Amino acid sequence: MSAYIIRRLLAFVPTLFIAVTLIFVLTRMVPGNPANALIGVRGVTAEKHDELVRQLGYDKPIPLQYIDWLQKIAHGDFGTSVFFKKPVIDIILDRFAVTLSLSGLSMLITLIIAIPLGVISAKRPGSILDSVVMIFSTLGVSVPIFWFGFIMMLLFAVNLGWFPAAGYRPLSFGFFPWLERLVLPVFTLGFAQVALLVRHTRSSMLEVLNREYITTARAKGLSETKVIYKHAFKNAFADIITVIGLVFALSLGGAVLVENVFAIPGIGNLITTAAIRRDYPIIEGGIAFVTFVALVVNLIVDISYPIINPRVNYE
Amino acid sequence: MFKRIINNRLLIFGISLLFIVFSAAIFAPFLTNYDPIEISIENSLLAMSWEHPFGTDELGRDVLTRVLFGAKISLWVGAVATFYSGIFGVLFGLLSGYYQTFDSIFSRLVDGLMVFPGLIMAILLMAALGPSTKNVIIAMIILYTPRIVRVVRSSVIQIKIEDFVDAARVIGANDLRILFIHILPNAFAPLIVQVAFGFAWAILVESGMSFLGLGMPAPTPSWGNIISDGRNFVYSAPWIMLFPGLAICMSVMGLNFIGDGLRDFLDPHLRNVVSRE
Repeated sequence: MSAYIIRRLLAFVPTLFIAVTLIFVLTRMVPGNPANALIGVRGVTAEKHDELVRQLGYDKPIPLQYIDWLQKIAHGDFGTSVFFKKPVIDIILDRFAVTLSLSGLSMLITLIIAIPLGVISAKRPGSILDSVVMIFSTLGVSVPIFWFGFIMMLLFAVNLGWFPAAGYRPLSFGFFPWLERLVLPVFTLGFAQVALLVRHTRSSMLEVLNREYITTARAKGLSETKVIYKHAFKNAFADIITVIGLVFALSLGGAVLVENVFAIPGIGNLITTAAIRRDYPIIEGGIAFVTFVALVVNLIVDISYPIINPRVNYE
Repeated sequence: MFKRIINNRLLIFGISLLFIVFSAAIFAPFLTNYDPIEISIENSLLAMSWEHPFGTDELGRDVLTRVLFGAKISLWVGAVATFYSGIFGVLFGLLSGYYQTFDSIFSRLVDGLMVFPGLIMAILLMAALGPSTKNVIIAMIILYTPRIVRVVRSSVIQIKIEDFVDAARVIGANDLRILFIHILPNAFAPLIVQVAFGFAWAILVESGMSFLGLGMPAPTPSWGNIISDGRNFVYSAPWIMLFPGLAICMSVMGLNFIGDGLRDFLDPHLRNVVSRE
């Protein structure tokens, strides 16, 4: 098992390297250099442009820029934002705390809602409850998340007045003001995730429930509850855990849209605004950071896998 | 048997939903008397009425007209992106599954592309390429091709060790013939299902990117653009964003039902091979 974990840790490095390289290559695909795109956009004149080119290091040959960039980001240095005139990493960490509130909470409610719901609908496939769950989960993966956010806002903030429509308060303002403004965004983001995880939980459970040892357990007279929770769920869970990393990555992508709808100053909002303003250090840094987080979560899931399911041979 | 009928119903329901949307897209010019782009300020933000069943937007354009013409654009962009992802995905998937040396390099690239949370990669691509309809399509092809590659590759790896492939080789069939005549048809079931999900995905991503202002340029009536136009009037004129959103739901749900239906119909074991994300 430890060999598996070490191998998995070692595989992390090249994957991260490829991802980071792709980010570099894609941003350098901009005709000329990224500073060209800034001329005229943000009051950047031709003279100021040359200065900016030097400052951002775009005057060096591409391979040299690449090595420079790799060295810098290895030390957590993503350069300086063209717009904010502050170190990119400071801005990113600041904004990421906000995104983490949103994604973390929505992950939490997803797990609390989706797994029991998936188990219950697998218990009686074809029942009314199962059909309702399946219809909602199809709806969940079919609804554009930002549109659903507006509907939630109209319904619960404008018509019913239960929650504030938009905005964000950090935890330092107190727990309630923080939570109050996150309820709608969290449920908006959670809808698609619940849909995905319910489907996966249900199909994993159905597969396990068809195995022979379940029939044996039933035949020896165990109660259905015991069969489902002690025998079936434990085995299905090993399979369910593998999609949790995927669901988290999805939540980071979805957060971009949700943050835009509810005016939450998270990292998704930061990257989108930077993309429109063409603030390349932020775009590169922000995307590298989010990708890094997604990779780390996947790594944790992969490593926890043999602990949850020790019978599988990982050698 | 009962289950098969239920699943067929899914398929039929999905096809009917999509049929409605496609008809709306094709017959858009005949279904409305208004122009989707022409501005008439005097009709700004009119509520739903007989003249304007979906109301009008800020610039006085009929929302129904824009949604109908938007169907054409959103479906077209989705279809083109899915088509090319399919072509490239099959090509690289076949090569990657069949030739080990090609695979060892190419799979790294595919893995690298797959680690990005989808929409975030789309933002990066649009920032690099600049917003235009063509670039939205290119970005989606780059994002979706790896998913098709994975599905095709894993089928090829399973199929290439079958006896009939060896038999074909013994008769003297060359690699090209083996790949396209013997292997590809057997890899078709998971591919077609993944393509259906891909089409649904493309419609959602296009709308998301347009909503963020990184997709289709302004006057083009894509569904995402219409919702984006309506976002400042969520309170005063919610109809602007309501209907294009419903149109997206309807088409994406139709495609998801088709994907689910096809999967269960063609081969229930595909559940673990094909993924929605």
